[in-house]
Amino acid sequence: MTNLTSLPILSIVTFLPLLGMLLVLLLRGQQAMKIAALLVSLLTFVVSLALWAGWQAGEAGMQFMESLPWAPELGIHYTVGVDGISLALVLLTTFLMPLVLLFSWDTIHDKQKTYLALLLLLETAMVGVFVALDMVLFFVFFEASLIPMYFLIGRWGGPRRIYAALKFFIFTAFGSAFLLAGIIALGWLHFQQTGVWSFNVLDLYGLGLPANLQTLLFFGFVLAFAIKVPLFPFHTWLPDAHVEAPTGGSVILAGILLKMGTYGFVRFLLPLFPEPSQRFAPLLAVLAIVGILYGALVALAQKDLKKLVAYSSVAHLGFVTLGIFALQLESLSGAVLQMVNHGLSTGALFLLVGFLYERRHTRMLDDFGGLWKLMPIYAAFALITFLSSAGLPGLNGFVGEFTILVGTMKYNVVFAVLGTLGIILAAWYLLWAFAKIFQGPNANPANAGLKDLNLREVAIMAPLVLLFIIIGLFPNLFLAKINPSAQLVLDQLNNPAAITQYYQTQTVSAVEVGER
Amino acid sequence: MIDDAGVVVAFWVIAVSTVVCALMVAAVRNLVHAVLFLALTFVGVAGIYIVLAADFVALVQVLIYAGAVGVLMTFAIMLTPAADRRNSETIFQAPAAVLAGLVLAIVTFVAYDTEWRISGRDAFPATAASLGEAFLKPYVVPFEVVSVLLMTAMIGAIVLTREEGDDV
Amino acid sequence: MLQDLDRLGPVLAVLVAAGLIVLADLVVPRRREKWLAGVALLGLAASAAWMVQLIARDRQASYFSDSMALDDFTIFFTFLFIGVAGAVLLASLEYVERFGSHKGEFFALVLVATAGMMLLAGSRDLVAIFVALELTSITQFILAGFLRDDRGSEAAIKYLLLGAISSAVVLYGMAFLFGIAGTTRLVATDGGASIAGAIAAGDSGIRSALLVSMVFLAAGFGFKMSIVPFQMWTPDVYQGSPTPVAALLSVGSKAAAFAVVLRVFFEGFGADTFVGEDWKMMFAVLAAVSMTVGNVMALRQTNVRRLLGYSSIAQAGNFLVGLAAISSTSDGTALGASGVVFFIATYAFTNLGAFFAVMAIGNRTGSDEIEDYAGIARRSPLAALVLTICLLSLTGLPPTAGFWAKMYIFNAGMRADLVWLVMIAVLNTVVSAFYYLGLARQMYRGDGEPGEDLRPALTTQAVLVAAAAGVCVFFVYPIPLIEAAQRAVHAFA
Repeated sequence: MTNLTSLPILSIVTFLPLLGMLLVLLLRGQQAMKIAALLVSLLTFVVSLALWAGWQAGEAGMQFMESLPWAPELGIHYTVGVDGISLALVLLTTFLMPLVLLFSWDTIHDKQKTYLALLLLLETAMVGVFVALDMVLFFVFFEASLIPMYFLIGRWGGPRRIYAALKFFIFTAFGSAFLLAGIIALGWLHFQQTGVWSFNVLDLYGLGLPANLQTLLFFGFVLAFAIKVPLFPFHTWLPDAHVEAPTGGSVILAGILLKMGTYGFVRFLLPLFPEPSQRFAPLLAVLAIVGILYGALVALAQKDLKKLVAYSSVAHLGFVTLGIFALQLESLSGAVLQMVNHGLSTGALFLLVGFLYERRHTRMLDDFGGLWKLMPIYAAFALITFLSSAGLPGLNGFVGEFTILVGTMKYNVVFAVLGTLGIILAAWYLLWAFAKIFQGPNANPANAGLKDLNLREVAIMAPLVLLFIIIGLFPNLFLAKINPSAQLVLDQLNNPAAITQYYQTQTVSAVEVGER
Repeated sequence: MIDDAGVVVAFWVIAVSTVVCALMVAAVRNLVHAVLFLALTFVGVAGIYIVLAADFVALVQVLIYAGAVGVLMTFAIMLTPAADRRNSETIFQAPAAVLAGLVLAIVTFVAYDTEWRISGRDAFPATAASLGEAFLKPYVVPFEVVSVLLMTAMIGAIVLTREEGDDV
Repeated sequence: MLQDLDRLGPVLAVLVAAGLIVLADLVVPRRREKWLAGVALLGLAASAAWMVQLIARDRQASYFSDSMALDDFTIFFTFLFIGVAGAVLLASLEYVERFGSHKGEFFALVLVATAGMMLLAGSRDLVAIFVALELTSITQFILAGFLRDDRGSEAAIKYLLLGAISSAVVLYGMAFLFGIAGTTRLVATDGGASIAGAIAAGDSGIRSALLVSMVFLAAGFGFKMSIVPFQMWTPDVYQGSPTPVAALLSVGSKAAAFAVVLRVFFEGFGADTFVGEDWKMMFAVLAAVSMTVGNVMALRQTNVRRLLGYSSIAQAGNFLVGLAAISSTSDGTALGASGVVFFIATYAFTNLGAFFAVMAIGNRTGSDEIEDYAGIARRSPLAALVLTICLLSLTGLPPTAGFWAKMYIFNAGMRADLVWLVMIAVLNTVVSAFYYLGLARQMYRGDGEPGEDLRPALTTQAVLVAAAAGVCVFFVYPIPLIEAAQRAVHAFA
């Protein structure tokens, strides 16, 4: 049984930003809106910490569950809950959001009210994706996250923003059509087996479908999530979207939105379709490795710093995917932790690019050089972030990549070796880019007057860097919460029936709460 | 009775001439001639009603369709100065003929294939009284709604044709 | 008789209001003609109040010798039509300026059309159905040509000619039913002869006549539902007729047609009879064709109203999925039938919102071309936002009621083992996203100068907000609407 506190904490965390959005829309005056948005996002983060504080250690299943009827005739309920895996991602979301708002403080001038409102709306959608246990509810949030992002890119983006936004939208919407079809099919299959419609994923875990049907649905889901991740060869929308998006949008896109895909793999794909997951895991692992190497090599060839970071995202997400489909406890937990790490470090990278772009309005590596002397604080933050992204021991990136590689080693040595090659390449392009920007002579006279980071910008970077170090030094703070849930996912692969029973006790208790 | 030799002969004569007239409506070149054939078709239909023992409906058919509608259409053609008095040619003639033939074939098949419900009533009673009864009992709602319909059509005709200038 | 008249009260109230307006129009000075809309709204309110008291007094029954029915189905649609008519009247207050001295007639005709739709939803006798159908149609022919410009007249004449043909086809189909049953009543509460009874007791001897009859009926009603292949008039009329009329046609007329189809096919032909599978399959095929043709044609449109016209054809295809998935109500859920009803209700909000937003924008810019919608969000943010929400709902994306409608219909389809049809519907949803969201994107693109402010009139704003609010509220809390829809179709159990 879970710790059923009297307050619906998950719903509060999910919908507080939505209330914040309404508040922002009602307020007049730039300053008031900005402060309100920031306070709301901070409050959301604080409330989400209650999840951490009230966590039942060692519990693998769902906690803080809530359930209310929504369209009960169709078997659709508002059911939310978190396990160790979703907890990590919820906290990542609520943590990154205030930083993004803080970054946008002085950098967005056009239609600021709409911008803030969209960001808060996006937060609700993203938290919702990670806490939804009803598949229809999940789909609603999944789609809802699409629209604000579309407008963020299309309205506040770079010169080719319309094209980028549309490409982003079409790719993702295409994937979600398959997702919706798959979800309806699952509800229907549940109806066929039991005579009741249900879209509760905990119910659906127990379906035990025939293998060929599983395979069909498996590929529908893979397509939807692989586009979101994005897994090679579905990645082509990502560089466009990243390059054209405003910095805040890039941070959210890389930091959180992409995780919806990998989260989908863990939460839905593996447990719902155990048979094809095991059968086709090598295929997806190979795609992941291709993505790692391809992303790293293309990143090496970039002249635009933001594009470099974008392609590094493809490589890093490849790592996460590899960790998931290696189907080992270490690699799976590592992959979940790496999702958080990537969110933090790539988010930080995009922020660093943003700081530079705000000052110089260029992102070309060739325009920079020798910034170390001009902007020492900036350089120090950048160094730590680059090293975190490259996986230096003692920082967060190392822990994630190392655990993934340990697990992959158990699964297939060749994959592990190729993955290691990816890490070496990553260190190469990151340090090469660092050298280009910060070291050497300061040849470009336009850089002469560059100011170092101000207090607001330091306030954005400091928490991130602090977290790099905390996770790097004490990974077990997080892994201890992730491990049991990851183990449960893997157990489901091997023995679906037993686990289903485990979940069903949970569902019953949640429904009781809903009716109370 | 309806199986009477005279009735059968009458039916075939009326039916054939009605169909021929209807075909002529589509075939003749002069619009005025077409209207006259249309009026003849209406009369033919009235004849079929009589064969079916529907005396009142036959009377109404002659008065309203063969009389009023026919005259109205003739007036319309005559009073429209710019109108081309000839039946227009269209490229859809052949497809329309094919479609009509197809529908005819299907309906003929259905008519023979189906076990129709045979009405058991007498052959030639006076129908006006029972019609009146039907209008005011089971069909009172449709009957009254038709009056609203006619009223509406009249308002519509006025609205659509009155020149904007002549406000009263 | 008086009791039966009492049950007809909601319709009579609307008709009386229409008559009062026509009379008052003679004495009211031209500048004040707009106030006649108040009389119209009062009539609608009286109608709703009468219906409420009928429910309170528990007057549900089959009346006027089984030619009319006052059941949950009729009640649901009566309220729907009252709402639609009220919204159309409110939103047209600004538009009616174009009608010169005919404002009063316009309000009256809208009321008559509404009364026709109410009758249509409540009729359970072929003659009554036909007369109600004609009342609705002829009123709408007139309304479609109300602008009396070239394009409007062309649209009206097209609508009239095709409408007349469809009426003839409906009559032909009805004649076959009469030939089989010997009566025009769909059901007989006194145990006498009825069409439902004849079909339920029928065998292969009457099968071919029934098949022809259902094809003819579907063709005739299909014209009103604007489904392929009887859709030719739709884009022209939506483009050429006055916008409030187009809104009324796209929502009210379509809903009434689906109501009568549900009544005739579900109550008359029956879902479990020996021809049940035949008509369901017919609608399944029509659904697939309508969705596909409507969506593909909509992709190439450059005019917003034509786009909405083709979208309305595609949406009719979605409704038909529900019809094809109808099952008997005895299993307690009747997802297919209640799905259609639920879809129609959400669609009413959605499409009214969309049309009113288009009208609000068109009133100010004088253009319905998609290219002129660039950057309209800056000049008329409310209309653009409402249109965006409605477009999302038409696509079936959250957070809108359209999402539930699609879910509902798809569930019903899966439940009826129409997997192929649901797959086609899902693919069509993807296709429709391109043009719906393309239009939304167009409104929010462009960094051009914020041109003059295009704020619509206060009444229009109110209706826009109400429509958008309906779309969103029924997303968050769809349960009452779902339950109402289910109650409505339980009338047929």
